[in-house]
Amino acid sequence: MRWAVPEAEFMDPGTLGCQGCGGALSMRMVLKEVGDDAAAVLPACCWSIIDGPWPLHSLNIPVLHTAFETAAVVATGIKAAKRHQGKDTTVIAWAGDGGTFDIGLQALSGAAERNEDILYVCYDNEAYMNTGIQRSSATPVGTWTTTTPDERPEPRPKKDIMAIMAAHRIPYAATATSAYPDDLARKVRTAVAARGGMRFLHVLSACPPGWKMPADQAIEAMRRAVLSKVFPLYELRNGRDLTITVWPDREVAIEEYFELQGRFAPLEHEPQTVEQIRSDVAERWQALVDRHERTMALAGA
Amino acid sequence: MREYIDGASAIVRGALDAGCTFFAGYPITPASGILMHMMRELPRAGGVAIQGEDEIASIGMCIGASLAGARSMTATSGPGISLYSENIGLAVMGEVPLVIVDVQRLGPATGGATTVGQGDVQFVRWGTSGGYPIIALAPTDAADAYRLTVRAFELADRFRCPVFVLTDKDVAMTPVTVDPDDLRAIPPGPRSVETHGDPYRYHPPGEIHPLHEFGRGAPVRFTGSTHDEQAFITKDRSTIRSLNTHLIAKIEDHLHEIELVDTDPDPGARTLIVSYGVVAGAARVATQAIRRTGRNCSSVVVRSLWPVPEAVLAKALVGVDRVVVAELNPGLYRREIERVAQHCDVVGVNRIDGHLIDPKDIMEAAW
Repeated sequence: MRWAVPEAEFMDPGTLGCQGCGGALSMRMVLKEVGDDAAAVLPACCWSIIDGPWPLHSLNIPVLHTAFETAAVVATGIKAAKRHQGKDTTVIAWAGDGGTFDIGLQALSGAAERNEDILYVCYDNEAYMNTGIQRSSATPVGTWTTTTPDERPEPRPKKDIMAIMAAHRIPYAATATSAYPDDLARKVRTAVAARGGMRFLHVLSACPPGWKMPADQAIEAMRRAVLSKVFPLYELRNGRDLTITVWPDREVAIEEYFELQGRFAPLEHEPQTVEQIRSDVAERWQALVDRHERTMALAGA
Repeated sequence: MREYIDGASAIVRGALDAGCTFFAGYPITPASGILMHMMRELPRAGGVAIQGEDEIASIGMCIGASLAGARSMTATSGPGISLYSENIGLAVMGEVPLVIVDVQRLGPATGGATTVGQGDVQFVRWGTSGGYPIIALAPTDAADAYRLTVRAFELADRFRCPVFVLTDKDVAMTPVTVDPDDLRAIPPGPRSVETHGDPYRYHPPGEIHPLHEFGRGAPVRFTGSTHDEQAFITKDRSTIRSLNTHLIAKIEDHLHEIELVDTDPDPGARTLIVSYGVVAGAARVATQAIRRTGRNCSSVVVRSLWPVPEAVLAKALVGVDRVVVAELNPGLYRREIERVAQHCDVVGVNRIDGHLIDPKDIMEAAW
């Protein structure tokens, strides 16, 4: 029998991640499928700390810490050298939302447009957590951060990074989260198998200190993000063929997702924003369902 | 009553008191406190604060805002200054008033994000192409960070150039008790502006004319290219020479207006301790301790690092044959002191391990 998630571990326990760190768990889950013939490029992000100080390196693969804006391009360089040496090492660019949605977007777009043979994983905790919870363009509307304080919570919706990646027509892109480990594992497997071109995984990763919730609620928060359709799980081939991979098996209201997290406290005073989010979530979900059905119809399913 | 305040908060307060109405920045330790406070405080004061998508965006916004009439500031640390580099040059060439706070951390590269250092001393001076002068002030503590931020805005408007507030992780992030009277300043008056005539006059070189703000009076061009006094791009050698001579002379001909040095002379002293920034505290303690042993020792704390306050230093060097320069880098400012103290034995007290200099180390070097 084969487990849905491999038993192999390429990340040691005792990282410097905070309790309940979704980013640490995401790495552990991804590496299980990628294996040890891999190298990781980490720009400035929580993972430049989580990895650990000497001699406590937590990853059993080579790690290259690089400048904030360069995850995709340094990975590109490593892959080119490996290819030149006749090796098929999986090169992972592993960046947070700031290093992906904001400062790293230009490098990411360049690599995607050239269809570089790298696996880009964005572990998205929806703000600059490592520097003290500043908003990023991945921060959802209505959120408190230290730079969107209570009196002026985040005014804009989260940037749709998947739509941006889709516009680059890369071979494979998917959303995932460790609350659905089998789905995440299968997507990593698919991404590794799709080698030869650019692969992008958008992995929602809870951050208990930044999301203002108890550490033991991290998995539940990520699960509710999916069930409430705030963070739908789907995959996208060649930027066109979209398939939803996890269909919520029960109704969860967006309020049930928000109420777990102190960062959404400003929404308590903003009922119109909540209604706007509700209608945006429903509209986006319906658009995904429509595209899923079109993909199925084209495939003759 | 005394206040408990860190340098980041003091800088923000200084900026607000100086009439700063625009701020843009990007998260980076140890400068994020300034971004955080600005995002909260500046809108309350009627200004605009924006978190950019990176450092290039942040300084670019500040250049636009400054030209359009807002006193502007940005704040970052070493890796962010790297990304500012091109736009620092643009602000030099386009004569844009701009305050840039560099909260230094240990370098190079990521270095020590939460570790103190003073390794950007030469970097801010030479951090863009061409080699043209800028102004850099180095506060010694939180209250000084307040004062020098206000002063930086005055100098930026006066000289129409980027002015750095070169501080460090320990000054910016360590709360200290401060007398509230030390957090008050006479706010600079409104910026001197013109609405007609050539906006980039540089005849005679070194004479600074008021800024022509965008959208007020006659239309204004702006360029990073070599230009004449109307900002039309030129390849004419004599015009280019005049422009570039002006960019140097407007600062170097006015050194006395910029110089800020705390001198603590001890008549008869043959030893001079030179320090700046956070190290000034240890240098002052060391100076007093040496004097208590019955020996003479003078001290200078350089608060305007660039341009080098050569006249004040030359005066402090009279009768001195040994100079101790204490700094948290491999000896970057010592080069400048050696230049003006050629008759002296110049020694460095340097730490590049992320720890502050102990007064004892300065005393030993001054022995």
